[in-house]
Amino acid sequence: MSTSNPGSTAPAWVSAAANQSRLAFGLAVTELAGRDASVVAIGADTLDLLGLRKMMERHPERVIDVGIAEQNAMGVASGLATTGMRPFVCGYAPFITARSMEQLRNDVAYARQRVVIGAAASGISLGVSGATHHALEDLAVTRSMPGMTVVVPADAHQAWHATLATDDVDGPVYIRLGGRVEEAVATPVEGPIRIGRADRLHDGNDVTVIACGVLVAPALEAARSLGKDGIGVRVLNMHTIKPLDREAVLAAAAETRGIVTAEEHYVTGGLGGAVAELLAVEHPTRMRMVAMPDENSVVGPTPKVRARYGMSAESIVAACRALVGG
Amino acid sequence: MTGNMEAKLAGLRDHARDIRRNALRALHAAGSGHVGGSLSAADLLAALYFHHLRLRPHEPDWAGRDRFVLSKGHANAALAAVLAQAGFFSEDALDTFYGYESSLGMHPDIKVPGVEMSTGGLGHGLSVGIGMALGARLQGLDFRTIVMVGDGELQEGSNWEAAMSATHLGLAGLTAIVDYNKIQQSGNVGEMLDLEPLADKWRAFGWAVREIDGHDMAEVVDALDALPYDTRRPSVIVAHTVKGKGLSFAEGTYLWHSNMVTDEIYAKAMAELGESA
Repeated sequence: MSTSNPGSTAPAWVSAAANQSRLAFGLAVTELAGRDASVVAIGADTLDLLGLRKMMERHPERVIDVGIAEQNAMGVASGLATTGMRPFVCGYAPFITARSMEQLRNDVAYARQRVVIGAAASGISLGVSGATHHALEDLAVTRSMPGMTVVVPADAHQAWHATLATDDVDGPVYIRLGGRVEEAVATPVEGPIRIGRADRLHDGNDVTVIACGVLVAPALEAARSLGKDGIGVRVLNMHTIKPLDREAVLAAAAETRGIVTAEEHYVTGGLGGAVAELLAVEHPTRMRMVAMPDENSVVGPTPKVRARYGMSAESIVAACRALVGG
Repeated sequence: MTGNMEAKLAGLRDHARDIRRNALRALHAAGSGHVGGSLSAADLLAALYFHHLRLRPHEPDWAGRDRFVLSKGHANAALAAVLAQAGFFSEDALDTFYGYESSLGMHPDIKVPGVEMSTGGLGHGLSVGIGMALGARLQGLDFRTIVMVGDGELQEGSNWEAAMSATHLGLAGLTAIVDYNKIQQSGNVGEMLDLEPLADKWRAFGWAVREIDGHDMAEVVDALDALPYDTRRPSVIVAHTVKGKGLSFAEGTYLWHSNMVTDEIYAKAMAELGESA
């Protein structure tokens, strides 16, 4: 037992977030609201899902939950932004991207409004809810829109820093968040995050794993495991899917023998797609994609469903081995 | 009615005629477009831009300006016409309608001075208007927000999310105007998906309702002057209009929702609309 108590020096938000990125987002929006009177949260029956109760206590007039009406939520956010307010839309990833996609595309992205979307319950984080509640196409949808910034924090720590970092983004931002499950810690409490700049979390020159979100921790696990066998794995935490860190991807392609992408998203249109679009043109490279295959997901506990479709450290190891011939 | 008011109404009717002429000018330059829904809205737009809205055309981003959102964005020829007449940009710009890289296309674009939101996809404007009205309330600004919706547009469910929301939020600073011309792209609204009883629907959603003849300038002005109809909830003006109003060949037929505007049609239209004052 250690006698030191790291909790005593950690900021209050760390324990409040309880290793859940969705809560870290809400806490960060609350923090921003305290600094900036133009910050306003728009919910869609999502006050608890996005951890907005504290903001409701402190700034009740700036927490507006419009009810289960995502189209309205997105349009209202756009209108607010035109008046100089800074809206943070707080929704369920499967609904706030699919149901209100046209409002996101027209009213926010095309109209170039500074709206931040916090999308909780992404991927299969709501495993038992089934495919209607799994968001496995949200990155494809959001990154296809010109002008969008698309961020997938690796954990709660990074979700906090990414949310604060929207201060410096002049345009719409989509932040992908987890569900009501604890997420493994993959990044330091103190951050920092540079939107659009990947973080190299593990060095190696045999193969590169480019991961985002909940697949970052398994990527590190895979790198450590392969390291024992003498395979050097570079791990990039590609927290920003758009704009993609081209330099980091091209360097990995030039300096290692292949690239594995890892994400909790359909293989169609996500991080793997973004990396492949770049490399196919600029630097054709052998790749493997660890992602959700093109099929409807089953119901079940999140870790089991993830593993069933190969979104795991084991799959990343196998993909790396396939690329290095080991 | 006072002589002053008579003169005012006559002036607004002149503006409305010019909106129709300029909308046709734009659509003629384009070669085709949404004639019917542009003409049905012309009298309402004249009263809004030359009587009701507080605007500074040479300072289009003035924070205190009233907001107008044309949710039925396909009537952009009429909006472009009235914005040009109000001085937001030159009337010559109307000749670029539909042109390559023109800022004036079939639907409004927020980058055009005076346009408050890019619209075109139907069922968006009312929610955006709620956001604007909320922005005014949160910042202690007294600007008013008016959203014009089409009748066919009200078939989109998103409008009714917004209608519920605006009442729940108590947005007296928000007004909707329905350009109720009874015709949509493929036929009569009543046959496609009937909206009736439309005024009752708005009442049931908690809005303060007034029904007017959207071509009777005295009624239009009176309805705008009386806003808001309630200090705790949003107002809606259900304006009964005629699709294609002002052109004998275009009135009341879905064929002129959108159609070709040839040189011959344009000449005929200008002859029917009469000379500018």
